[in-house]
Amino acid sequence: MHAVIIGNSAASLSAAEAFRRHDRASELTLVAAEPGPAYSRVLLPYYLRGSIARDRLFVRDRAFYDGLGAHVRFGHAVTRVNDRAWTLTLADGSELAWDRLLVASGARPVLPRVRDLPGTGVHTLWTLEDADRLAPELLPGRRAVFIGSGFVSLQAAWAACLRGLRVTVMEALPRVLPKVLDERASALLEQRMREHGVDVRCAVGIERIERPAGQAGIGAPAAAGAREASALRVVLSCEDPNVDADLVVVGAGVRPDLSFLEGTAVRVEAGGIPVDERMRTSVPGVFAAGDAALGPSVFGEAHTAHALWPTAVEQGRVAGANMAGHDLAYPGSLNMNVAEMFGLTVASMGRFLESGDPAEEAVVEQDPRGGRYLKLLFRGGVPLGGVVLGSPEDLAVLAALRPRIRARREGRLASGQPFRSLHLTLAVQRSRR
Amino acid sequence: MSQTRQVFQTLCRMCDDHCAINVYMEEGRVVDIDGYAEHPWNRGRLCSKGRAAVDLVYHPDRLWKPLKRTPSGWQEIPLEQALDEIAGKLASIRDAHGARSIGVWKGEAVGFAQQEDLARRFAHAIGSPNYFSNDSMCFNGRWIGYSTVHGAWSVPDYENTRLVLMWGANPPHAHPNMTQMIMRARRRGGKLIVLDPRLSAVARQADLHAPIRPGTDGALAWGLIRALLERGAYDRELVANHSVGFPQMQAYAERFTPEYVEGETGVPASLVGEIAAALAKAAPAVVNYVGNGLEHHENGINNIRAVAYLDTLLGALDRKGGNRLAEGFLTNRLTLYQERPLTELEPIGAERFPVLYGMRQECHTMTALEAILSGRPYPLKAMVLTAANPAMTNPNSEKVRRAFGALELFVVRDLFLTETAQLAHYVLPAASFLERSELHAHAMFQVVTLTRKLLSFPGVQDEYQFWHDLAHRLGAGAYFPWKNEEELTRWLLEPSGLTLEQLAAHPEGYPYRPVRYEKWREKPLRTPSGKVEFTSQYLKDLGYPELAEYKPPSYLSSPDPEYPFVLVTGARKLLFYHSRFQNIERFARAGRNPEMEMHPADAARLALSDGDRVRVSSRVGTIELPVTVTAPNEIPPRTVQITHGYRQANVNLLTPDDVFDPISGFPLMKALPVKVERLGTEVTPRSTMP
Amino acid sequence: MRIVTMDPDSCVACRNCEYACAFKQAQTFERRDSNIRVNFYPEERVCIPGTCVHCEEPWCLEVCPAAAIRRSPDTGAVEIDPERCAGCKMCLLACPFGAIRFDARARVARKCDLCGGDPRCVKFCISGALQYVETEEAFGFRRASFDAHLMQMFGKGDQP
Repeated sequence: MHAVIIGNSAASLSAAEAFRRHDRASELTLVAAEPGPAYSRVLLPYYLRGSIARDRLFVRDRAFYDGLGAHVRFGHAVTRVNDRAWTLTLADGSELAWDRLLVASGARPVLPRVRDLPGTGVHTLWTLEDADRLAPELLPGRRAVFIGSGFVSLQAAWAACLRGLRVTVMEALPRVLPKVLDERASALLEQRMREHGVDVRCAVGIERIERPAGQAGIGAPAAAGAREASALRVVLSCEDPNVDADLVVVGAGVRPDLSFLEGTAVRVEAGGIPVDERMRTSVPGVFAAGDAALGPSVFGEAHTAHALWPTAVEQGRVAGANMAGHDLAYPGSLNMNVAEMFGLTVASMGRFLESGDPAEEAVVEQDPRGGRYLKLLFRGGVPLGGVVLGSPEDLAVLAALRPRIRARREGRLASGQPFRSLHLTLAVQRSRR
Repeated sequence: MSQTRQVFQTLCRMCDDHCAINVYMEEGRVVDIDGYAEHPWNRGRLCSKGRAAVDLVYHPDRLWKPLKRTPSGWQEIPLEQALDEIAGKLASIRDAHGARSIGVWKGEAVGFAQQEDLARRFAHAIGSPNYFSNDSMCFNGRWIGYSTVHGAWSVPDYENTRLVLMWGANPPHAHPNMTQMIMRARRRGGKLIVLDPRLSAVARQADLHAPIRPGTDGALAWGLIRALLERGAYDRELVANHSVGFPQMQAYAERFTPEYVEGETGVPASLVGEIAAALAKAAPAVVNYVGNGLEHHENGINNIRAVAYLDTLLGALDRKGGNRLAEGFLTNRLTLYQERPLTELEPIGAERFPVLYGMRQECHTMTALEAILSGRPYPLKAMVLTAANPAMTNPNSEKVRRAFGALELFVVRDLFLTETAQLAHYVLPAASFLERSELHAHAMFQVVTLTRKLLSFPGVQDEYQFWHDLAHRLGAGAYFPWKNEEELTRWLLEPSGLTLEQLAAHPEGYPYRPVRYEKWREKPLRTPSGKVEFTSQYLKDLGYPELAEYKPPSYLSSPDPEYPFVLVTGARKLLFYHSRFQNIERFARAGRNPEMEMHPADAARLALSDGDRVRVSSRVGTIELPVTVTAPNEIPPRTVQITHGYRQANVNLLTPDDVFDPISGFPLMKALPVKVERLGTEVTPRSTMP
Repeated sequence: MRIVTMDPDSCVACRNCEYACAFKQAQTFERRDSNIRVNFYPEERVCIPGTCVHCEEPWCLEVCPAAAIRRSPDTGAVEIDPERCAGCKMCLLACPFGAIRFDARARVARKCDLCGGDPRCVKFCISGALQYVETEEAFGFRRASFDAHLMQMFGKGDQP
């Protein structure tokens, strides 16, 4: 049979490996719109920062696909899928027949509804092409405005800081990194950002982007290396002063583009393709994984988007195995994020916001002088998640939580009591050092 | 391994464990050390100190040339000149005050076999009976305690034991290699009971850790004796056929009811019975091991003797899995106690501590220091000291320094300019263990190993070379006829029938005698009666109680309200050995060094946080250092501990040199009344847990 | 392949293993330079040595977005290539044993690599709590230990 995987990133690569582990005989093809080689999206901020060279972004070479015995059609977007004839059509008009299909085509940045946002001087940061376009713009002394204080946006803002730009971060919600940190950690991070000279504007609404006359143009990139990129003005609603900028970077979330599934019986929602524990879509033989999918979470949600590399890898593994006829169930994704920014390790996992449930208990260790904050959230003694701000050493505590958060869903961990006392003693011991 | 790398086997002597090591050398330089897997002693394992020998031998502070004290400071002089001058001065001191005014002092660092015997030989060769050593405060307590009971200090038979009872000993930090033996025993189902005021490293794995008040171990031992006798759980054959004094022991034991023992020791009454039951169940395969922790007490010897009684009652004496009477490796005798006993010259301390001298030919260091200062019983004018640092490790450091400062001639041999060396007139560079070749017998396995001389530096003499050169200059050359250390070792080996070459071919150790048990069936024990002596006529004749009578320590029987804490000193640290290795930088940074361990309730009462500085005072002196607030089960309330060897906070400024065990002459160092005061709030960080 | 196994029932938290590893990695005795850690809980009297067990399906290898983690063909050890590592710390977050650490000076993640087949921690473990054994026999000492306990229970312990 012929298995076809749409995509060439985390979920696809993981699925390809998993498929071959169980099925050495069938044909396997990977199709992707981006030309390749496969690169790591997670590493793009490090490239922007100058920490790694561009060639370190690529995570697979030709030998990988040859070793899997996989055909590749990179640089070819899929325009249509036919779930009755079991074929798909590429942009160049050619067709591929498939017996099993994995949609792992990822997601794209969402542009918020701001008047005149798309155009010269406005960047997203999702693809390698985005990074290549943005990198030469990061010149010392220039003014950059980052719309959105999500994980990708702040990492890009940090890269800009390190390269000597004057940075403004704008966030619609009242605090930075609202989906990754709790209030206290947001406050600590914001303070640290200000110490690095970042102008942080929370709870702001952006009305429109103004450009000097004659420079509007949707999607027109700034000339590479141009020292005089057009100046922009970010006009805010309410009385907040406007901000002038040389470039604007938008990091306001991602959403999959699944138009090529129109006309099929594959159920698609706004945020992606709902899949079950086996990564199956509503059409037998069609699977989805990664940013394109809405899969189960450890907390029991049936369809959640976690646009994260580890989730994509895990889902890809399950999808690939099941495409090969295996029967793996995915225990559910767990949101986990980690990055270094503004001189701090910033990480979180699971659920870390108190809901007011009296059975919840937060364990907090902090040393504001040392820039350290660790919070774990338990319910009835069972760990739900945590936030780390400051020290990489504390990541081990979150990591130790990880399998236990999963265990909770399966009901294996009746009470987290012994674990909790272990952690507390760990914490006490560490603080005594 | 690189092309030019070679590996040689020898024994490590960073501590007294003598672990077998691989020494890796490139172009004549030692580059790495690890454990040698084939030797049965350590089976390839090694502690961090062993590896650090690489740092030690090439340490930038190492002495390479003799130093002479001059008004303008240390002056380097050639070796021959140093030896000439030293010999000349010794000769004139001998002429003026007699040979006995010259003392020889040997420290831990060169060990207890042929190097020790060389020092003893030299003293008597030049006509002095005054040989001193670190054993005025170590090892002899147990040797005397056990030997007065059953003729020798036994070796633990860990490999076959079912229960290890550990008194005041902490192998992971003191003799690291014993740790794997104990853990092997546990893995086979054996149990570990640790008696120690502190939760020491070994206590972390104890099936039972019973914190016991410092100095009260004798009461617990007697309590266990009573419990065993009460149950009738004792080896009747050994008692009936091979012991004297059983009825007296039985009668004396009566008063040590569990309640009395609890009141005295702090060990709950119920535990006394539990421990006794565990002992009885595991008997005779019980290892009953006593550490230095029991030696530094006013009643040390009798506490140890009471523990030793248990070996016989449990039937563990020279039994498999118990406490074996090892058979030593027979060599020619280097000491001159038969040829030139010199007892008529009144060896210093022999009259005051006749057992110490009588059983061990050990003069008493603290009496010597007193003699230097007072001239009584007669002048002691010169001291030749090797491998020791008593200015840090003897009690009452202030007095030690004064005494050494008052010598007419003080000669020190060491690798470094130690605190003691700084007081000398001449300091001579000494060879490290990698620069010596000597015999060592591991008594537990009865194998003998020849260590290997791997390095040699010009002008740095090994022990034999030094004593030889000095002796020849003093007319005592006839006693040092061998050309070098190798010749000496050959001579030592003669009675064994083994050759140097044979031993060199067996770096894994050469079994010199098969291990045997129950030798008391065939021949008498080495006591005057030939039997186990619960009552010792020998001691009685000398005016001591014949039984191992218990006396409570004075901090309990007559507490001084001005000094409400009891200070234990000398708990071991893995990385340091007495005052050695403080100069290895990564060692010094690997923990909080120095520190005073204190219970959290005591700390709270004094408003102390971990890392705060405190002033600790005894009636002898005062020091200041950071406090480490332990977990509540790591040290008992009202007890504090400070390890010795730190020049920044030398705890021996607090220890008295005038309170002794009457039999051994060992100083009281582990149950001292002190007071603790809070100083400022400057916090000393901990880098890692010790 | 062989891995380093750990026996918390034999460990006394002497930390020779940490010293030996830190010394090999960085010539220091600092805990942060060691790939093996011993956690000691005094009140519970528990000593737990923890190092990488070189999982058959390593969470760290799977999650690394830089393809910097691979399995050594010689020793089977799961190794981080510091040249490929971007320091994103995803692996630190992924390892459920906390066996990966971050080298803040070199800005890369680091972990046990079994010292190329002759692990230092084992050589310097004085209690025998660390062993370097074939995975099939790993923790076999537990079976032997359990047997010994059973025999004792039935009064058939070692007779001297």
